Amino acid sequence: MIDMATLLTIVLMAGVTYLTRIGGYVVLRNRVLSARATAVMEAAPGCVLISVIATAFVSRNPADLLALAITFIAATRLSMLPTVLIGVASAGLLRHVLG
Amino acid sequence: MSVSEATSSDTIDGGSTSEFRRGVVSCVPVLLGTIPYALVLGAQATQKGLSAVELSLMTGLNFAGGSEFAAIQLWTSPPHIVLIVAITFLVNSRHFLMGAALAPFLGHLPPRKVFPALFFLCDESWALGLADAKQRADAGIAPAFSLRYYMGAALAMYLAWVGFTTLGALLGPMLGDVQHYGFDMAFPAVFLVLMRGMWKGVAAARPWLVSLVVAALVYLVVPGAWYVAAGAVSGLAAAWLMAGDA
Repeated sequence: MIDMATLLTIVLMAGVTYLTRIGGYVVLRNRVLSARATAVMEAAPGCVLISVIATAFVSRNPADLLALAITFIAATRLSMLPTVLIGVASAGLLRHVLG
Repeated sequence: MSVSEATSSDTIDGGSTSEFRRGVVSCVPVLLGTIPYALVLGAQATQKGLSAVELSLMTGLNFAGGSEFAAIQLWTSPPHIVLIVAITFLVNSRHFLMGAALAPFLGHLPPRKVFPALFFLCDESWALGLADAKQRADAGIAPAFSLRYYMGAALAMYLAWVGFTTLGALLGPMLGDVQHYGFDMAFPAVFLVLMRGMWKGVAAARPWLVSLVVAALVYLVVPGAWYVAAGAVSGLAAAWLMAGDA
């Protein structure tokens, strides 16, 4: 049921992934950051989030771009659940309608 | 429930159970987008020859969806171990930044609690936990970071991810392409709402724009998952330079 090469790959994947998870904490705890480093750290979460979803902004599908625009407007005005529902519904409908 | 609604409700000073529950509840909208992807990953893995047991081992031990999609994409029999492990590291290198952003909020917790909690760090649990901590800090609540809230969101995410990837592997290729139904738009929606919660004015958001533009360009030009690292790093560089101007 479990192949040894597969098991080894999975265990190593899990190992490096855990290292990435604890790395930032291990290096930065118990340190007092300069004003500049604090500014960088404050910008960091947004920079990572927007980079992960950057692919959506350059979709070649007009339906996806329109749905993203609708989702963007919803996100500036509404709370989490309505925004998600509007995003999913608009993407589903627009892809259906525009192909 | 939005993060802001969650933190402004009267459950803030409630017991540990209500903090955990608040975390689970805040994760529900995110699960809407996660579950279809988990099913697809499971289905794809069986097509590559992985058994349901092997796949649930992978999603349960590694628990990082992006790297698992990449690994399954690259999977052969036998697997190219070095290639897959290197790609896993690359895709997950954003965790360094995420952990670094979280570190200032973890000072009140002993390492023996932090290290197990960090095993469950993913885009969603991190984003929810950090946004919640920032809002509690603004509201003057100490400690700003609620470990039980974070663990509520993280465990909901973990159980859903492992459960539904396994279900996907068991159901196999009966499932079609979920992208047609629009569920993938849940991720931009969640992330954009979280970013609005972090909004501190146009000037503070300029690094985000740099990240967006660079990540998008790199995504269009360079194959693979480099765009996340490139976008994040250039945004940080922009933040560094702009802080020098002030």
